[in-house]
Amino acid sequence: METLGNLAFGLGVAVGWQNLVYCFVGCFLGTLVGVLPGIGPVATVAMLLPFTFGLGPAPALIMLAGIYYGAQYGGSTTAILVNIPGESSSVVTTLDGYQMARRGRAGPALGIAAIGSFVAGCIATLIIAYFAPPLAEVALKFSPAEYFSLMVFGLVAAVVLARGSLLKAIAMVCLGILLGIIGTDVNSGVIRFAFGQTELADGIGFVALAMAFFGIADVLINLEHSEKQEVFTSRIGSVLPTRDDLRVCAWSIARGTAIGSLLGILPGGGALLASFAAYMLEKKVAKPPRAFGEGDIRGVAAPESANNAGAQTSFIPMLTLGIPSNPTMALMIGAMMIQGIAPGPQVMTERPELFWGLIASMWVGNLMLLILNLPLVGLWIKLLAVPYRLLFPAIFVFCCIGVYAVDGKIFDVYEIAVLSAFAYLLLKLDCEPAPLILGFILGPLMEENLRRSMMIAFGDPTVFVTRPISAVFLFAAAALLIAIALPALRAKREQAMAE
Amino acid sequence: MKIRSPKDFWSGLIFVAMGVGFVALASQYRMGDLHRMGPGLFPAMVGGLLAALGAIVAARSLVSDGPAVAAFQVRPLAFGLLSIVLFGLALQFLGLVIAVAVLVLVGAYASREVRPLQNMALAVVMVAFSVGVFVWLLGLPLPLWPQW
Repeated sequence: METLGNLAFGLGVAVGWQNLVYCFVGCFLGTLVGVLPGIGPVATVAMLLPFTFGLGPAPALIMLAGIYYGAQYGGSTTAILVNIPGESSSVVTTLDGYQMARRGRAGPALGIAAIGSFVAGCIATLIIAYFAPPLAEVALKFSPAEYFSLMVFGLVAAVVLARGSLLKAIAMVCLGILLGIIGTDVNSGVIRFAFGQTELADGIGFVALAMAFFGIADVLINLEHSEKQEVFTSRIGSVLPTRDDLRVCAWSIARGTAIGSLLGILPGGGALLASFAAYMLEKKVAKPPRAFGEGDIRGVAAPESANNAGAQTSFIPMLTLGIPSNPTMALMIGAMMIQGIAPGPQVMTERPELFWGLIASMWVGNLMLLILNLPLVGLWIKLLAVPYRLLFPAIFVFCCIGVYAVDGKIFDVYEIAVLSAFAYLLLKLDCEPAPLILGFILGPLMEENLRRSMMIAFGDPTVFVTRPISAVFLFAAAALLIAIALPALRAKREQAMAE
Repeated sequence: MKIRSPKDFWSGLIFVAMGVGFVALASQYRMGDLHRMGPGLFPAMVGGLLAALGAIVAARSLVSDGPAVAAFQVRPLAFGLLSIVLFGLALQFLGLVIAVAVLVLVGAYASREVRPLQNMALAVVMVAFSVGVFVWLLGLPLPLWPQW
C-alpha cells in the first residue's frame, strides 16, 4: 500500500506540466536521435546531456530517462527497417524484425515492438517501485567494506557478461579506475597524475570521456568502412498488429518481460543480455515453433519486451546503490553528480521527489513512447534516409558544444580531442569501452571506500571476508571469475555471444 | 617469436605501458600503510594489476591466433581531430558562429565522400541550430561573435 502511495506521490511530481514537458521532450529527442543509423543509446544520452544542464535535478533526470528509453526504441526501429541494430541489445530484433520488413510486415513489427515495450515498461516500473526501497534500506546499513566488495562484484559481473576477451575487459576496468582517480585526492588534497595541468585538478571530465568513446571515436571508426543498406521505407502499411498477432504475442511479451526484469537488475546485464535470453527462451518454448528467424512476430515481441524491461530495472542498482550496471546508467550517475547529487541509497530518503518522480515518469514516458511512435513512424522512417556523411558532422557539433558547456572551459574541447585519439586506438584494438566507463565512475568511490574501511579496520584486510555481506559479494565475484575461466563454460559464453 | 594475435599484442603493450606509467607516477606520492593509505597506494595497486594483466594479454597473443589490426586510415582520424582542435581555437577567439562553421566544414572532410555545397548548407543549419537551441533556448553562456 505504501508503495502505491509513493507511486501516487511520484506521479504527482511527474505529471506536473513542467516535468511532463521534459519527459515528452526527452522521449521525442531520444527517439529522434536513436533512430538515426549508427547512433546508439549511450551516444544519444551523452550527446543530449547538455540539454539538461539548465534544469533542476528532477526534470533533468526525468528527461534523461526519457532520452534513454526513447533511444532504446529508436534503435529497434532501425533494427527492423535497416537491419542495423542501433545497439547490441537490438541485435536479436534484427533476426525476425528485418525478415518481417522484407515480407512487407514492417508495420506490425514496429507496432508490436512498441506495444511489447509499453507492457514491459509498465510492469518493470512496478517492480522498481516495490523492490527499490527495501534494497535501498539494506544498502543504507552498508559499511565502507561492504560497499567496496559490492563494487568489486558489480565490476566483475559487468565484465563477465560483456562481450569479448575477459582479460582485456578487466584491464579496461583497471584503466578506467586509474583515469577516474586523476585529479585532486579528496583525502590528502594532493593533485595526482595531472602533469602540472591545473585544468586537470578536477580530473578528466566524465562527459568528455563518454563522448570521446561513444561519440567521436565511434564516428571515426564508422567512417573507415561505408556500407550501403537496404531501407524498407515504402511498404510500412498499418502499424497496428492484427488481433491474431496480439493473441500470438501475449505470452511472448509476458515471458520477455519476466526475463528482462530479472536480468536487468544484474550488473552488466541490462538490456543486452535480457533480449538475447528472451529470444533463446522463445525459440525453445513458443508453440507452435513456427519459423523463427524468418519473420516470426514473436521473435520481435519477446526480445523487445525484454530489453525494455531490462532497461527499466537496470535503474534499480543505480538508484538504490549508486552503482551503474551499464554505460548508460554510468551516464545517469554522471548527470546526477553534475547536478550536485551524490548517488546512493540516501537519494530515496533525502530526495523522495526525485526518486519517486523519476520512477513514475518512467511509466508516463512509456505511455508517451507508445503515443509518439505509432503515429510518428512515418517521420522516423524519413530520418533513416539521412546519409551518414551529413550526420557525423552534427555529432561533432553536439559533442564539442556539449563538452564545453559542462564547465565552460576551452581546455575540455582539447581534452576530448586527445581522449578521442586514445579511444580510437583502443576501439581499433577491440577493447570494449563499457568496462572502462564503469571503472571510471566507480574508481574514486572504490578508493574512498577502501581507504575508509582500512582506516576503520586498522589496516586489517581480512575485514572484507570476515563481514558476511562483504564476503558474499567477494565470493560471488570470485565464483563468477572461476566459472568463466572454466573451458566448458567459456565455450558456452562464446557461443552465446556469437549468436 | 611471432605475434599471432596482433590486436591482443598491441592492447597488452598499451596496458603494460599505462600500468607502469601510473605506478611510476604514483610512487612520487606518499604511499602510507594499509591503515592510513596515502594518495599513492591505491593507484599503485591498480596500476600494478593493469600492467600484470597487460603482460598476460600480450604473452597469450604469442601463442594463440587472433585477428589482425585493420589498417589505420589517416583521413577520418586527421580531419576529425583537426576539426575539433580548430573548433576549440575558434570558439576561444572568434565565437560560436565561426567555430561551428569551421567544425562542420573541416570535419566533413573526414568522410571519403565530400560534397561542398551540401556541407555549406549543413554548416548553415548547424550554426542556426546551435545558436537557436544552445544559446537562446537553453541559455548556455557561449560567446557568439569575435571578442575584440
